[in-house]
Amino acid sequence: MSYTLAAGGLAVFLALVVGFTGILVTFFYIPTPDQAAKSVQELTFLVPFGWLVRNLHYWSAQLLILVAALHLLRVVFTGAYLPPRRLNYLLGVSLLVICLLLDFSGYVLRWDEGVHWALVAGTNLVRTIPGIGEGLYSTLVGGSQIGATTLIRFYAWHLFGLTLLVIIIGVWHIFRVRRDGGIAVPPPERRDNTARIPRKELRRKEGLAMLWTGAVLVGLAILVPAPLAPAISEGAVSAKETLAPWFFLWVQQLLRMGDPFVFGVIVPFGTLLVLALVPYFTPQRLKHNELGRWFPRGGRNVQILVACLSGAIIVLTLLASLQGIQPAG
Amino acid sequence: MKGHYFLASVVLLLVVGLAAWQQDRTPQPIAITPTLTGQVEYCLTCHADIPEISQSHPVATFGCVLCHGGESLALTADLAHSSMRGGANPSDLSVVEASCGGEMCHSGTPQVERDHIQRVTSSLQATYAGAIAQVRYAFGAQKDLTARMGIFAIDGLAAFDPSLENSPALMIFASNCLSCHLSAEPMDGQEYSRWTGCSACHSPAPHTDETQVHKLTTSIAYMQCNTCHNRGNYSLADLQFHQREDAPTDRLHDYYQPIADFTRCEWTLDCEDCHTRQEVMGDGHIYSSKKDIQYIRCNTCHGTLDALPLTHTITDENDLALRLAFLNPVIDLKVGDSILMTDEGEPLWNIRVIAGESGSAPAYELYSKASGQRYTFNPVLGSTCQQQADQQEARYCHECHATER
Repeated sequence: MSYTLAAGGLAVFLALVVGFTGILVTFFYIPTPDQAAKSVQELTFLVPFGWLVRNLHYWSAQLLILVAALHLLRVVFTGAYLPPRRLNYLLGVSLLVICLLLDFSGYVLRWDEGVHWALVAGTNLVRTIPGIGEGLYSTLVGGSQIGATTLIRFYAWHLFGLTLLVIIIGVWHIFRVRRDGGIAVPPPERRDNTARIPRKELRRKEGLAMLWTGAVLVGLAILVPAPLAPAISEGAVSAKETLAPWFFLWVQQLLRMGDPFVFGVIVPFGTLLVLALVPYFTPQRLKHNELGRWFPRGGRNVQILVACLSGAIIVLTLLASLQGIQPAG
Repeated sequence: MKGHYFLASVVLLLVVGLAAWQQDRTPQPIAITPTLTGQVEYCLTCHADIPEISQSHPVATFGCVLCHGGESLALTADLAHSSMRGGANPSDLSVVEASCGGEMCHSGTPQVERDHIQRVTSSLQATYAGAIAQVRYAFGAQKDLTARMGIFAIDGLAAFDPSLENSPALMIFASNCLSCHLSAEPMDGQEYSRWTGCSACHSPAPHTDETQVHKLTTSIAYMQCNTCHNRGNYSLADLQFHQREDAPTDRLHDYYQPIADFTRCEWTLDCEDCHTRQEVMGDGHIYSSKKDIQYIRCNTCHGTLDALPLTHTITDENDLALRLAFLNPVIDLKVGDSILMTDEGEPLWNIRVIAGESGSAPAYELYSKASGQRYTFNPVLGSTCQQQADQQEARYCHECHATER
């Protein structure tokens, strides 16, 4: 467990919490522009334990992104992305991307002043793509401008499209772990303890991790409420710049550097592409004695590359949050 | 391992218990559904102790959000207050249309006397156009005294922008002398304390300890007017505001500028007992000077040697005089009563004609709008007054009736 950080198992647990609390939220959320923010406020302030359900939904989603990113780094830094796990690595990366989209669409569903800028800026980025930009934009927002159709599309993607994808790819991902021979472990002769972990023991350890995570989640839900802002006022055409959701702060910082197509589309998607192609930058297989170890020498180039990318994303995120909101104009 | 399990379970139980406690200490929401909006709001959960603002704005009809804005369902102060209009003062002129406007409220037509916002926003008190024109003229920025610029742009006036002026004096004027119009934040000190917008006159001034009174009223004592009109003078010589240095202890000396003569009624009554809505709040037209809109004179109430003051007999339940008396019920006005009326046809609803001595000219009773006190007075006609018909300005009356100070 100290080797895997238990991140994969925790991700499953968090995904279950997100899913369950999400179902509860669905009973109260109204996906129309004039009612969306109000229904979120109603859930938060007037429904008994509604605040707890919403905060748990929010915090488990944020922790899921963190844990998934951590899981990805573990996989890269232990060389677990290499054959026979190359396909599963790609499934994992796509799961992270879908989780980010789920998080962003959930954030947009608040439909309040706090998300207005990110919604406008994020969807406008799509427009900058030469040739297909406008078409993609109107497909995404459901018309020539953001409105009721945008909200219902984000709602449908959040509840059905992306959630179905996450379930299908998630189950496939877990199935592939088993098919690929379990987690990437050192060869038997190099293990300190060659005995397999007993099923009962594994259950206990997983159970313990879930208990602690549950306690942290409820604690966070009590102490740090999920963000809320006033409803988007009628006829508001321009959105005041606010901080993007934390997982896209690095893109917001990139956007301040210049051309939105280059810095808002090419660079982030380039980063994603590089990450996805990681298994192809390294020798097909690690040496026998490098298997199941942290920082195997054979994967050095990939480790440095991913460390640099992660470092850059962290630095950009910190810069964006330190810089705060830029005064307009 | 068992110990770990036990500890984690206890911690989880503890935080769940904490969540239940948090839910338990959440105040029970208090809902109202104002009849005008039909939308439930929960402001009273925290603000049940705030008194109703006026009998014309009952909370059961208006609620809070219609005037104040804000998030009607939020139960945390930060979120609930985040979208309020004008902070604590929704009547600030920057938001007044959204807060107090609407055809059925205060931006209706002049015909139904509901065009308050249009009138106030074009009035001298709001635009400061008269002072701006005078000072621009004094420093050569315009050739005559006609108002061309206001604090904000409005039909007939451009916005006064000191950065576009050539004379440095106008920059100084802008920074030192624009503290008295309806959008200006007042100067420091309780004697200057007032709200902006409608509440500058219609709500009690906030105290310097930030306590406030939730009240809208048409009963406005002279002290309210004094927050702007009696605290000193703006000097054209050094473009500074010179604070009043005397500290009067009685009403006669506290009243208005300490340089002028006043008759008894001028310093006994309150400003609004004589000065009408149109004079104070404007009539919708742009004026270049206070004297162009201030038309009440002694003879409005007292008449002349040849004529009694104008009167108006109330024949309709919907008469404006009755509506105004309803807002400030200092007088039991009813259909059939005769009241005084200005040359412009404005009802002086707090002054009723009462029968005089048998066969003599009528007498009048005035109820102070601020104190409710009753005064009686007689017309000039039939008195021993020797004033000439063409000498109707106050200075002629002051020759005999002024009080020495």
